[in-house]
Amino acid sequence: MLNNIIETIFSMRFLLQVIRLATPIIFASIGAFVAASCGIGNIAIESIMTFAALAGIIGSYLSGSAWVGVIVAVIVGMLTALLITFFSMRLGADPFLIMIALNTFADAVAIFILFQFTGEKGSSASLATKSLGVIDIPIIKDIPIIGEIFSGQYVLTYVCWILVILTFIVLYKTPLGMRMRACGLNADAAKTAGINVERLQKLSLALSGLFAALGGAYLSINYLKIFTKGMVSGQGWMGVAANGIANGNYLSLILSAIIFSFFRAVSIIFSSNSSFPTDLVGAIPYLSVFIILTVVSIVNYYRIKRGKVEEQ
Amino acid sequence: MKETILKLDNVTKVYPNGTVANRDINMEFEKGEIHSVVGENGAGKSTLMKMIFGIEKPSSGTITYKGQEAKFNSSMDAIHAGIGMVHQHFMLIPSFSIVDNIILGDEPTKSIFIDQNEATKKCQELSDKYDFELDVTAKVSTLSVAKRQKVEILKTLYRDAELIILDEPTSVLTPQETEKLFDQLRQFKQQGHTIIFISHKLEEVKKISDKISVIRNGVSKGTYLNEELTMEQLTNLIIGRDLDSDMDKYKTHEDFNNEKALEVKNLYMEKNNKPVLDNISFAVKKGEILGVAGVEGNGQQELVKCITGLEETAYTGDIFICGNRVNDFNIKKRRDVGMAYIPEDRMNDGVAGELPISDNLISTYYTREDINKKVFMDTKKIDEVSEELVKTFAVKTKTAKANVNSLSGGNVQKVVVAREYNTNSKFMIAEQPTHGIDIGSEEFVHHKLIEMRNAGAGILLVSANLNEVMNLSDRIIVMFDGKIAGYFKDANDVDESDLGMYMLGAKRQSIEETGGALND
Repeated sequence: MLNNIIETIFSMRFLLQVIRLATPIIFASIGAFVAASCGIGNIAIESIMTFAALAGIIGSYLSGSAWVGVIVAVIVGMLTALLITFFSMRLGADPFLIMIALNTFADAVAIFILFQFTGEKGSSASLATKSLGVIDIPIIKDIPIIGEIFSGQYVLTYVCWILVILTFIVLYKTPLGMRMRACGLNADAAKTAGINVERLQKLSLALSGLFAALGGAYLSINYLKIFTKGMVSGQGWMGVAANGIANGNYLSLILSAIIFSFFRAVSIIFSSNSSFPTDLVGAIPYLSVFIILTVVSIVNYYRIKRGKVEEQ
Repeated sequence: MKETILKLDNVTKVYPNGTVANRDINMEFEKGEIHSVVGENGAGKSTLMKMIFGIEKPSSGTITYKGQEAKFNSSMDAIHAGIGMVHQHFMLIPSFSIVDNIILGDEPTKSIFIDQNEATKKCQELSDKYDFELDVTAKVSTLSVAKRQKVEILKTLYRDAELIILDEPTSVLTPQETEKLFDQLRQFKQQGHTIIFISHKLEEVKKISDKISVIRNGVSKGTYLNEELTMEQLTNLIIGRDLDSDMDKYKTHEDFNNEKALEVKNLYMEKNNKPVLDNISFAVKKGEILGVAGVEGNGQQELVKCITGLEETAYTGDIFICGNRVNDFNIKKRRDVGMAYIPEDRMNDGVAGELPISDNLISTYYTREDINKKVFMDTKKIDEVSEELVKTFAVKTKTAKANVNSLSGGNVQKVVVAREYNTNSKFMIAEQPTHGIDIGSEEFVHHKLIEMRNAGAGILLVSANLNEVMNLSDRIIVMFDGKIAGYFKDANDVDESDLGMYMLGAKRQSIEETGGALND
């Protein structure tokens, strides 16, 4: 039986599963990363994804177009992010409290709104909604193995990987990105160089909201084609955790996100195998976050002890 | 006939809480001069500079720059107008390269990308033009303090600053580095730049300035040509009385049986695979002040952290405080065996700014029996103790219940010194005890340190301020590159430039010679 599982892990089907599961986590990760590199810890990714997932499905239902759904999701995501800046920068509240509040009531608000539209509290199954499909890339799709990996993926998965590259270019190769990173590394230095720190932080949070929203939209419009209660289930937090592990390193950010997705896929295989208690198996991805974070902090602790850490 | 570049007319700044930082300041700066602005902490120099640089707006009065009224909304406007400022605390990003730090905010681009080649070329040319001897592709985190300052100056030159404000630029430099900086400032002057120089160090002000403006309590005490002022007159203008700077005459010489307050043996520590403390051995006897001179970043900080117990990196060697081996002691235990500590970063490590002065005055010995009754604190006694300390240390405040944040830098330092003084410890580490505070408070702190010394405390004085080290110390060691590079048995026989040579590594004593630091 264990052989079975190991065999599955090394199969193509499993790889494709990881790619599908990685999309929302990577969206969440780059969302957390852009905000963090500008000096703002965005821990509201999870709730933004929830709002966006619901907004996307409702947008798609009302307009009859999946793309309009994505746009509505993105707008809602960015507005939620800007709401945080409004409360923290304009009204002077502690941004972390706002974000905790958002996370706390996100699920409940989503269900409340869902109920208004469908009369149900569990899912949007009764709404006739449109969803985005997959993209087949000509020529490539006929190449064995490569074709399976690079062709036939969900639309927003392609958008995700394009954004991974674009975000890197903007952050590390353009003046805007350099200024944003400067705000995160030493806001006073950025300020005295004549940079409007507050404006850039708002922008970075809006971008963060945009990425998180795409992650939410992927779940409801592209991948599951339906909104269900609690569907984000910690994927936003995994993005936040990946950002914590990356500690400013973009490559390790993406790698961490992929590792988390791997464990999510593993947990799905185990849970389809009835001989394991499902609750325990369902905990695998979260346990992996816990264990990886612990290992990373222990390693960092000893690096500091040995005096090997450079000044940021 | 010289042309006026900057003119202040009746500039007044009143903060929303009613504090008057500047009142009716009138000053005139001419193109191509080095013009110093001096005054005590809290006299209003910084506020004035912030107004010139656009960070603050004057409440009334006008600032005229190049013949036009300057209404800067932010430092961006000031930078565009051609004003540059080198802040006392460097505004650099250590993990960025020199180039990136310089171009930040005004990046050369090729389509939407930063043009790194162009940027590097421009910065290198600029550095070479002024003989800064920098490799502009290096990361700032790898640079010495003096080089970081050069980067700060390059930042202003890159933005074509005509008027450069330097806020306490020499506070982190050795005499030789200061000399070099002054040469460069003179070069800038030749090329028509105007320099506003802010400093506490009056010798330096006298050395470099064409003109000197004095501010006291927010009010201008006039602008003078350098040559028409003597040192005594200048001091008198700044603090309103004469200064008493000869500390030696206050020292008494009692015998404390050569007992050692601190003994450090073969201390060794690595960071980034490089030794930052390399076999350090010395002792501080009771009733003496041992001065540690050195350019910042040569191991002094790590040394202090090892002794106080703040260091997290592993090290080898032995540390004894009043005869107890304290390597495995936590900070509280070290204090219990007789350590007191005046930290360099007073706002972060020295006080809790949001709490009242009274709480801060007992925070390192709050478990002492006279103020701590088994369950509750004896608030009455604490009030007594703190009122007393506020009085004897002349902390400028209405009440000991006020928050520490409401005090000026010099007064915060007095709170820290008062607290540590009141521990009656036999060993004290004073780390940059007068860094960035005015000469009046400085004098006061010095007197208190001497008083503790006379009462039999051993004091380890770590300071980047050479005058302070030379004035206060009985013996001196110089740290360079993690080692004790020089040891002087009698601080009175040391000459400043000689000390500077050791600080820069140009001279170095043998192990036998520096061994006296432990054994004398």
